[in-house]
Amino acid sequence: MVEVSTPVRWLLRAVAIGYVFFLVAWPVSLVAVRTFEDGTSTFLHIFSDEQTVAALQLTVMVALWAVIINLVFGVTISILLVRYQFPGKRVLSALIDLPLSVSPVVVGLALLLVYSGRTGWIGPSIEEAGWQVIYDSPGMIMATCFVALPLVIREVVPVLTEIGDDQEQAARSLGASARQTFLRITLPSIKWAVIYGVVLSLARSLGEFGAVKIVSGNVTGRTQTATLIVEARYQNFEQGTAYAVAFLLAFISIACLIVVAFLRPSHES
Amino acid sequence: MSIDVHHVTKRFGDFVALDDVTVSLPTGQLTALLGPSGGGKSTLLRIIAGLDTADSGTISIEGTDATRLPAQKRNVGFVFQHYAVFKHMTVAKNVAFGLEIRRRPKAEVVARVDELLKLVHLSQFAHRLPSQLSGGQRQRMALARALAVEPSVLLLDEPFGALDAKVRKELREWLRRLHDEVNVTTVFVTHDQEEALEVADEIVVINEGRVEQVGTPDQLYDEPANDFVMSFLGDVTSLGGSSLRPHDIEISTSPVLAGGVEGEVSRLLRIGFEVRANVLTIDGEEVTVVLTRAHARAIGVEEGSTVWLTPAVGAAVVPRMKAVV
Repeated sequence: MVEVSTPVRWLLRAVAIGYVFFLVAWPVSLVAVRTFEDGTSTFLHIFSDEQTVAALQLTVMVALWAVIINLVFGVTISILLVRYQFPGKRVLSALIDLPLSVSPVVVGLALLLVYSGRTGWIGPSIEEAGWQVIYDSPGMIMATCFVALPLVIREVVPVLTEIGDDQEQAARSLGASARQTFLRITLPSIKWAVIYGVVLSLARSLGEFGAVKIVSGNVTGRTQTATLIVEARYQNFEQGTAYAVAFLLAFISIACLIVVAFLRPSHES
Repeated sequence: MSIDVHHVTKRFGDFVALDDVTVSLPTGQLTALLGPSGGGKSTLLRIIAGLDTADSGTISIEGTDATRLPAQKRNVGFVFQHYAVFKHMTVAKNVAFGLEIRRRPKAEVVARVDELLKLVHLSQFAHRLPSQLSGGQRQRMALARALAVEPSVLLLDEPFGALDAKVRKELREWLRRLHDEVNVTTVFVTHDQEEALEVADEIVVINEGRVEQVGTPDQLYDEPANDFVMSFLGDVTSLGGSSLRPHDIEISTSPVLAGGVEGEVSRLLRIGFEVRANVLTIDGEEVTVVLTRAHARAIGVEEGSTVWLTPAVGAAVVPRMKAVV
């Protein structure tokens, strides 16, 4: 490593820490400060508010479904991308990154165009069959899946590439079926990448706002998620509740990341 | 015959890896597939194991047609160049893998793993992770893992290629002894002719997707089928339009033997006990001759001296067909 003189080193540290502090740490900590300004009463109050509790339950339900769906498809697509050659592979790989670059609002509008019960492309036929997609939980789960789609895949693909398929071939030659090879060899090898991807997806899914706002219709008590209630309460001059719910969301996400950082064995990076 | 390869062809795009290969590998023997890198020998081994499929042709193992059989049904042990250890399992678990897949009783698995670890001298490492082993130990573990399922054939793909020279040498002697002990039909791929000559009962020389020659190490060395086999197994020079080994040329300072080719020593290089002489013959041929230091001193060859060259009695001589690769 190149030696850097002491003043420069201190300067670099100050810049990095200052940047993160003013952009992330300070604003987020102020949310916590506001939440607990009058002790724990504001925070505990949200759990007795029927609408807030419903919103939190809905958020958890949507996030869990989105994470499960992205977990299954994410691992499958990762294996497909790394282990197989097929025409259109690069297009698929590029498409998977799309949710990172496209605004969630665009995602919401796009889903509306296809699945809207009145004006959508196949929405009316689905609605006739008795399924409500838009303005209901299926649409919200889809929107959340869309925005969190790349997270599992981008964690798993590099690990799969790095371990190569030697171990899988060895397992096959020792008599393991494709399923046994996946469960006994591939999955344990990518375990930490999958867990990390799931945590990132969960954090992202809990906090999704733009896409969900458009496809949910934001109906209080029915299709209002935690992020939507934060906005609604804030605009309604109920800052206390808004801060408390915002704090809860941030707390869950940070807690997830910290737990995984501690669980992850240090030699596996 | 244990493994029968019949008219196997394999292409990767435009590249022909195997071109209509037919070869039989004998039961109970240690066979080497020898050839330069990219010559198709690893591809052939992988096709025998079922890790690759041939475009055409058939493979049969112990009399059963295995051409369409997936890898896990061939009962073949495979050892990879880079060990392919299961990183998240202990040494004992690695070795037990094939047995656990076959749902053998626990006591039997434990006993068999114990026995195999003893065989490969890794008993004291049973509970370590592969990352705590050296390269040579990992490869021995991989070998035990492959042997655990009692395969009908054991296939090794450049098994010592990733190891340093000293460990390589130790392991190949050890492989020979191991084979004499367990006696399973074994095929290994190597590009190292010394390794093949030292370890194998039989050698199959493969180049550019074709079998050049099949035979015992002595047959290949003494009666090479062509220039390629000859040059691949050791140093080659040419004299009077034939290829032969540099140490199989008699050199004298007077025309005592009939048919001697006259020339002038252009360069003399001493390496330890041997002396390498470059001789430019009057026909314009550049011949390399190897003789011992004592012999060179006794006959008094020096740079610039005129000498006569003749093939030694009993030398392996091959008519020169094409440029030596």
